[in-house]
Amino acid sequence: MPAVGLTHISKSFGSVKAIDDVSFTVEKGELFGLLGPNGAGKTTSLRVMLDIFKPESGSVAILGGPMNESKKDHIGYMPEERGLYQDIPLERCLVYLGSLKGLSPAEVKQRAAGYLERFDLAAYKTKKVKELSKGMQQKAQVIATLLHQPELLIVDEPFGGLDPLNTQMVKDLLLEQHQQGVTIILCSHQMHQVEELCDRIVLIDHGKVMLYGVLNDIRRQFSGHAVTVRTSDKIPPLKGVERLEPLNGAVKLHLSPGTEPQEVLRSLVAQNVNLDQFEISMPTLDEIFIRVVQGQAEVA
Amino acid sequence: MTKLWHVVWHEYRRHVFTRRFVLAGLMSVPLIILVIVGLIFLIFALDTNTTPLGYVDYSGLLANPVSAPAPEWPDRSVQILRFETEAAARSALDAGRIQAYFILPADYLSNGRLSVVHLGALKDPARTQFYNFLTANLLRNTDPLIAIRLVKGTELVVQSPDGSRSISSKNWFDVVIPMVAGIAFVIAMFSTGGYLMQAVVEEKENRTMEVIITSVSPNQFMAGKIIGDTAIGLTQIFLWMVFIVIPILAFRNSMSILRGIHIAPQTLLLLVCVMFPAFIMVSALMAAIGATVSEAREGQQMVAMISLPIWIPYMLTGLLMSNPNSPLALGLSLFPLTAPLTMLMRDGLTILPVWQIALTASIQVISAVGAIWLAGRAFRLGMLRYGKRLKWREVFARN
Repeated sequence: MPAVGLTHISKSFGSVKAIDDVSFTVEKGELFGLLGPNGAGKTTSLRVMLDIFKPESGSVAILGGPMNESKKDHIGYMPEERGLYQDIPLERCLVYLGSLKGLSPAEVKQRAAGYLERFDLAAYKTKKVKELSKGMQQKAQVIATLLHQPELLIVDEPFGGLDPLNTQMVKDLLLEQHQQGVTIILCSHQMHQVEELCDRIVLIDHGKVMLYGVLNDIRRQFSGHAVTVRTSDKIPPLKGVERLEPLNGAVKLHLSPGTEPQEVLRSLVAQNVNLDQFEISMPTLDEIFIRVVQGQAEVA
Repeated sequence: MTKLWHVVWHEYRRHVFTRRFVLAGLMSVPLIILVIVGLIFLIFALDTNTTPLGYVDYSGLLANPVSAPAPEWPDRSVQILRFETEAAARSALDAGRIQAYFILPADYLSNGRLSVVHLGALKDPARTQFYNFLTANLLRNTDPLIAIRLVKGTELVVQSPDGSRSISSKNWFDVVIPMVAGIAFVIAMFSTGGYLMQAVVEEKENRTMEVIITSVSPNQFMAGKIIGDTAIGLTQIFLWMVFIVIPILAFRNSMSILRGIHIAPQTLLLLVCVMFPAFIMVSALMAAIGATVSEAREGQQMVAMISLPIWIPYMLTGLLMSNPNSPLALGLSLFPLTAPLTMLMRDGLTILPVWQIALTASIQVISAVGAIWLAGRAFRLGMLRYGKRLKWREVFARN
């Protein structure tokens, strides 16, 4: 049974259709990427998923059925628009947010202590939240999301506003949660982060699902007909190669239709070219994203 | 249900245990009362000159004078000295040993005429003490009970036919207390309602709302806030009462005026049945305003739409006092926003029929429930409107 399932969801605000017939599922224990440019409908999809917004059509199943109050205690949500109570001490703020997830104040204090130590915030627990830096508040928000040990973790742009060190810390924390079997939905427009962490993705643009599936399958789907070769020798003219394109110290060979990469490899070996690297060119998620989004813009 | 109480406690603790609440919310009314009482004492002190008074008696009335009863605190006693001649009295006046002297002519008893000589202004407390001294000596051979009655005058008590209510001509506190209680409730209502509105706007402004509503239902959250806000208001009123009741109990033995202070059971009934639901109604309306606006300043402007009607009865005090049972008074008693103050003001001035109390209380309870519904709806629709105001039209729309 999937952890989350959205089936033909549509939601409009006035005359603007925020999401249109969106369907995808997130399996239990999976680290799933929800991608899209700004304004694509990612956050609306999350809010529909969390029952903050009611969809006009379609259905949502979360943790085995429709959303209810008891399920809220098993979900950790870190929205993109982050915020904590500014005029109270950090620990009291965490105790309140934790108590709304069904924890006792003692449990929250005990659990928060470890996280505060890990995120270098232990010395600030009695300080008012407004006295903390933006980065510290961001880390405090991560702690508030994880305190109740959720089964399903939904994080919207978790790396926004973090320096490289803290980005790595949050990334490690997400991987740790993933290893512990927590289902994670990572919503972001930072493709390299998603590429590094997620196995499956859905890409939404203009409220519609543009890509959905296993990340490697999608990359293969967009790989085109080219190979990347790294060599110190000069590449001779090869049958079936239409043109050469320098690429970060290597050369990308664009193949003519019907030419197989193995034929090109055989030709290179036959002509005694010393190869340091030979691989089928796979686009990065960034490249796929740009191609899909630009293609969508052209269609629009 | 537990989450609701977490919201209540968070709301209560966040506002009550703050310097702002202690200074502005809690100390404001006691401080005002303290300043007023202080001013009264200052006026008394400035008005009372304890330099002795003198008299020259040609009538023989004060040949062997008896003393008048000592004046009641905070008035201070003024010594009254006898002089044999006007020249001796004048000399004492010029020397500043007395502040004035009275001359009782030989025919004083037949025409009641006497004269007074003073250099500076002769203030009322000293004059009154001399007149009390004179009255005491005029009545020295009368039955003491009659003498006391003549000095103290008559107390007229107006009583309802069933004997349940009465108002004394000497105890104006019966008229004032319900009005003051009403005003205190309304002040508390708006100061704590203001906290609630601000809290809702802040939660929108600092984006905590989205996290909260994925933890607790909007209805529970709103109910928790309203209960918390009402508890803050009741705390405020309770502590005001403590500040007021303690000095009354402390001084009631030395100030007879304080002995007349008591709260009628009907006033308490009105506070519970009319004021309490009105408190909840105003809190809910303030929360609804907080949910619809995008910043606190914008909300303050909208609060006027509620506060203005609530204060209308106070502005119409003259009309309500001259005719507390007029159709206008009845109309104001039935309209949810004007009813709280109108009913409390009328309570001190007339005998309110039971049906009117019951009807007003029912209307207030229904209005409070309606306001909670409205707040819940405005909250659900407006909670994620960042930087954009929710239109009231949308709140009342069908879906």
